[in-house]
Amino acid sequence: MTILSYPLKHRDTAEPSPGESKLIDRVRVVHAQVNGRARLQIDGLYHCEPIRRRVESALAREAGIRQVSANVLTGRVLVLYDPARTVDEIKGRVEELLANPSPPPSEQRPSSNLYPLRPVQPMVSMDGSAASAQGPTQWHTLSRTAVLKALETTKEGGLSPAFAEKKLRRFGPNSLPETPPRSGLSIFLGQFKSLPVVLLGASAVLSAATGGLADAVVILGVVIINAGTGYVTEAQAERTIKALGHIGQQHAAVIRDGQLVQVEAEALVPGDIMVLVPGTRVGADGRVLESRSLMVDESALTGESLPVTKRVETLDTPEVPLGDRFNMVYKGTAITGGSGLAVVVGTGRYTEIGVIQALVGETRPPETPMQKQLDVLGNQMVLLSGGICGMMFLIGLARGYGWLQMLKTSISLAVAAVPEGLPTVATTTLALGIRNMRRRHVLVRHLDAVETLGAMQVICLDKTGTLTLNRMTVLAVHCGGRHITLANDVFHDRGMRTDPAQNEELLRLVQVGVLCNETEVNGSEGGGYELKGSATETALVQLAIAAGVAVDSLRRQYPTVRVEYRTENRNFMRTVHTVKEGGKLVAVKGSPSEVLEMCKWWIKDGIRLALTETDRTAIRMENERMAGEALRVLGFAYAEQAQADQQLAEEFIWLGITGMADPVRPGVKELIALFHQAGIDTIMITGDQSATAYAIGKELGLSRSGELDILDSTRLEQLDPEVLTGLAQKVNIFSRVSPANKLQIIQALQRSGKVAAMTGDGINDGPALRAADIGVAMGKTGTDVARSVSDVVLEDDDLRTMIIAISEGRTIYNNIRKSVHFLTATNLSEIMVMVGSIGSGLGTPLSTMQLLWINLVTDIFPALALAVEPPEPDILSRPPRDPREPILRPADFKRYGFEAFAITAGSMCSYGYAVARYGIGPQANSAAFMTLTAAQLLHAYSCRSDRHSIFSRTALQPNPYLKLALAGTGALQLASVAVPGLRSLLGTTLPSPMDMAVIAAGSGLPFLVNEATKAGARQFDREGREELASSVGDTGGTG
Amino acid sequence: MMKQDFMFTSESVTEGHPDKLCDQVSDALLDRFLQQDPFSRVVAECAVSKGILFIAARFASAGSVDIPEVARQVIAQIGYEHTDFNARDCTVMTSLMELPSPPYPNLDEREMDEEEIDAVTAKNQGNVFGFACNQTAALMPLPIWLSHKLARRLGAARLQKQLSYLAPDGKTQVGVEYRDGRPNRIHSITLVASQQSNTPRGVRSLRDDLYQHVIEPVFLNEQLRPDARTRIFINPDGPIIDGGPSLHSGLTGRKSAVDTYGEYSRHAESALSGKDPSRIDRVGAYAARYAAKNVVAAGLAQACEVHLAYSLGMARPVSVQVDSFGTGRVPDADIADRIQAHFDFRPAAIIGAFNLRYQPQVFRGGFYRRLAAYGHVGRMDVGLPWEGTDKAPLLG
Repeated sequence: MTILSYPLKHRDTAEPSPGESKLIDRVRVVHAQVNGRARLQIDGLYHCEPIRRRVESALAREAGIRQVSANVLTGRVLVLYDPARTVDEIKGRVEELLANPSPPPSEQRPSSNLYPLRPVQPMVSMDGSAASAQGPTQWHTLSRTAVLKALETTKEGGLSPAFAEKKLRRFGPNSLPETPPRSGLSIFLGQFKSLPVVLLGASAVLSAATGGLADAVVILGVVIINAGTGYVTEAQAERTIKALGHIGQQHAAVIRDGQLVQVEAEALVPGDIMVLVPGTRVGADGRVLESRSLMVDESALTGESLPVTKRVETLDTPEVPLGDRFNMVYKGTAITGGSGLAVVVGTGRYTEIGVIQALVGETRPPETPMQKQLDVLGNQMVLLSGGICGMMFLIGLARGYGWLQMLKTSISLAVAAVPEGLPTVATTTLALGIRNMRRRHVLVRHLDAVETLGAMQVICLDKTGTLTLNRMTVLAVHCGGRHITLANDVFHDRGMRTDPAQNEELLRLVQVGVLCNETEVNGSEGGGYELKGSATETALVQLAIAAGVAVDSLRRQYPTVRVEYRTENRNFMRTVHTVKEGGKLVAVKGSPSEVLEMCKWWIKDGIRLALTETDRTAIRMENERMAGEALRVLGFAYAEQAQADQQLAEEFIWLGITGMADPVRPGVKELIALFHQAGIDTIMITGDQSATAYAIGKELGLSRSGELDILDSTRLEQLDPEVLTGLAQKVNIFSRVSPANKLQIIQALQRSGKVAAMTGDGINDGPALRAADIGVAMGKTGTDVARSVSDVVLEDDDLRTMIIAISEGRTIYNNIRKSVHFLTATNLSEIMVMVGSIGSGLGTPLSTMQLLWINLVTDIFPALALAVEPPEPDILSRPPRDPREPILRPADFKRYGFEAFAITAGSMCSYGYAVARYGIGPQANSAAFMTLTAAQLLHAYSCRSDRHSIFSRTALQPNPYLKLALAGTGALQLASVAVPGLRSLLGTTLPSPMDMAVIAAGSGLPFLVNEATKAGARQFDREGREELASSVGDTGGTG
Repeated sequence: MMKQDFMFTSESVTEGHPDKLCDQVSDALLDRFLQQDPFSRVVAECAVSKGILFIAARFASAGSVDIPEVARQVIAQIGYEHTDFNARDCTVMTSLMELPSPPYPNLDEREMDEEEIDAVTAKNQGNVFGFACNQTAALMPLPIWLSHKLARRLGAARLQKQLSYLAPDGKTQVGVEYRDGRPNRIHSITLVASQQSNTPRGVRSLRDDLYQHVIEPVFLNEQLRPDARTRIFINPDGPIIDGGPSLHSGLTGRKSAVDTYGEYSRHAESALSGKDPSRIDRVGAYAARYAAKNVVAAGLAQACEVHLAYSLGMARPVSVQVDSFGTGRVPDADIADRIQAHFDFRPAAIIGAFNLRYQPQVFRGGFYRRLAAYGHVGRMDVGLPWEGTDKAPLLG
């Protein structure tokens, strides 16, 4: 289903530089078994929209090519061509095409060359599905009535449920064919396809051929156990990864039997009348019947990022590109505005997107950048160990060892040294992390998002709804010369709790606030109210409820006769109400200064007083003060008239001012501090005036430097992109921007090289969420569109879970590094011990079986346990990692080499001692074997952190899995010398107490050396000091 | 000794000039802060380029100001409406830093006693200059006086719709020929006026319009008028379309000659706009002008330059120098003594005497903002306290 995600997630839309020598290799044939149908892999196509367009549009014009479909998610292109042409011709054409930098003439209108993929002979006939085919009718050329007639439905009534049921049976469910999950067997068999297994097999055959049947059996056992572990972890990871991208059951609103009903999107059938509303996805392909400015974002299908307006008119030519079929809507596209009706014409695999998916077939997400790096690393290790083993073989021969023994030893060393666990560890860790996050209600939708989370440098946050509660609340009332504040619906007068019922003018103000108000109030006093209206007016009704005013009865008592809304020149709203006892009541609310202007009187302690100039100044001051606190201020006044027809003598009485604000969500301030601590910059995006934005920015402590930078602009898109790029790095708050501007902001941040996250929930947020490195959608309040384009969904809308996601993302990356660290260092030590010993004529310190044992026992389990290390305590106090840095830097390799050397030195000393005491033989082997494994197990402990050593003051959180793995492995290792059967199998002897002491020293000392020389620990200290130094800044100025 | 026969040119700019726009935004912010809290400490600096206005403000104030909103009001009042730069959708980048509130209580300088006034010292080393001469009724040098007058008229012609096609940006220069130290004739006049892009007008008709609506009315009541030999340049580099920040950038405090005496006398290089009254480099300049003007008004000299040197940590200026350029009736040192006897140059005394903290409340439309265009000194339109000649009788 990943095909539904927007294909535009790529940073760099620039065309790749032409004329590279690698171009010849850029196109590979993946599959060309069927004549006339070829699937090609194109380098650079992955996540690159311009290349997709170029390939598709240019190839489509080629003679002999019937159809092209390129997929940026897989980096592959499917070409259907005239069987008279060969695959190589096609491949050649594509290569030429990529080499030729000139843009296709249609660059201006990318979608114009994208012809529908429906084949001339329907593809559907090829797979013998039970559901009957839906014909390839050119629905866009038919009139609305013709379409309805053909589908046996009506616009008003829709289908009857029974008929829909029948159609559903006939056409099948409206779901896209899913790629079948990899079967357990295929995962299991996959375990045997790796190079180490081949080596092991060769070793087994060699053993069997030379009479070592027991060896062969053990080797096969190793293979099976290896495969078993691989199978278990991979199968679990497979399930987790498979579940990515699902955003739950989609529903569709349709008309059936004249009723508007919600059905599962899967139950849509041709002829259903879909009701299209913004924020939802189109459930099936349909012909538009009604459109009220219906706007659809079709980028999922056409790549065109601007929404398209849909109309109902009939098109006259069948040959119209998909993007220009303005009277059709397509499954999987998003409605961004307006509303409309459409009749379903195609469902499931017969939709345009279904056809694409059927053609493309494979939709498995490609490997993440980190996985690719690990693959490369694994291959390098294979080459390295292969080369060294070959060398060792030659040295051994030169030294006069038997060629058979050397061959077996070399092969087993190769087996032991190849880090076959690398890819498994990475996949498993990623999958485990994703599951962990899901438990904390963070839904990760793309595998690579996990990695990116760890590198996130800046997060853009929506103010409304994300940082604030999105609920206007009256926080202060000024009336009768008193300043009354509200907290949790309780009134306070100068810190003392006060009863609003005792305050005549406050009560009147509240009543006027309810009367001069258009909020719909549903529900009763007892059962709680449900309010529907503008945020400001709802807040006033809430205020009345808090003050104990019976809203309903008050409104019944004073029915509204007339409402005059605020206009451009008149900043207040005025309502006229009839009074039961006769006469009328005029209620006014609006701009305090304008309302005050028309008043002659005011009320203090229930007594009407004339407004003096001093009173007015005091009120104006209060107004300014509240506005200064970034409160939204409203003034209230009323007038009573004994005679309903008295027009002129409206003597308004000033009641007071209310100040309201959208309160900050609890805990957000602390969260912002956490982001800053984790080295992540925070940017607030708001449509508010900058005074309000400033107040909130100050309250939240958005700036890390104390200086708050606000960019106030209604038209960011007009700004020179370069200028915006420069500014965006500095800005803490973007004020008065519309959601549509979020895209510019995120792009500006990305241009400056930042890894940027963006939160959002609205339809307009779609493009920005898609463009962000990490698009964060809100699970509950978010629209379908926002959720489906995001990388991370916060299911309970709690931004605080984001910090967990970041911690998890960083931990996963670090843990993979730890596993790789362990595997690399220990495997290197094995190679060093063997080569060193054989090279110096000390014989083979480890037998074939011992090498295999090491491979089986000490490699896998500690590495897996390291992959589930808990977060390091300071994981959220470090800056994010540099996204451009490879997972292992050259410095890391040097360090691992050093560590391996320390372990080797210890083992060699132990071996040397044993050789000196017992001579070359099983006793010496046992000493080396025990020392090396013990040192490796201790090294697993050392790999827990690059920074913390056993000498550090802070302790790491315990990792029970590692303890278990180390204890279990240690026990097995002891058993290998203690249990007679194992002893004979492995060719070990029981070490003497003196031997044990040497083994302990030989394994313990390297551990201490490695712990004491941890570079990270020293670097950590230095960073701490630098931070201290840089915080002593000068706040003064010279201006 | 001042030269006797020479030509001197001063320039002025309209309020739409980007540098002046920045000055006005800076001072409008100051006004708003002081209106809410007279003891606000504010440093507001602006820069404008293309469609972006940058504001860097450091402040400590009990008041709260919507800074971009104030800036937009200023831009709107100045009259920028072009799509590249207008009040509605220009981008305003603010960099705000709140300063810690001062540890001492805020005392009203008007009610301070001697000891308290002495306790308020200069916060910086610095020179300030004040000048006055009897070339005009305002006791300002004639070139800057005429330049300001032309610039104002140029702005007014646009605002009063006489030449509604004009854009807000403009510059004026007047060259005056002096003979025996007195202005003798108008040597040259330069007017650079920008026009709105939607109503293009040739240089020729613009020239006629400006002559009729700007130059003629300005010189109507002047003693010296352009004669036949006066060189008049109108947009010498050709028509300027729109002008303003979309054409050239601006910065607060870059027009210190325009703000003072048109380079006719010395002036301090530091900016005057955007600084609250506690800054001696701003209020000292006003006090020095006050002293110089009274010296000339008292008839002690025909031209007088007062130089005050302040030193950090001291309230009184460490030196008070007077130069009358040989026009003095009494020796310069004598004038200096008289000034020191009758003028209190301590920072708190200046603030108190000129009521600088409360002026923005008196002039609701803005006090400092008005100073930010057409000169901080020599203004006859605002009723500035330092333009009063009330101390002249004491000096004479």
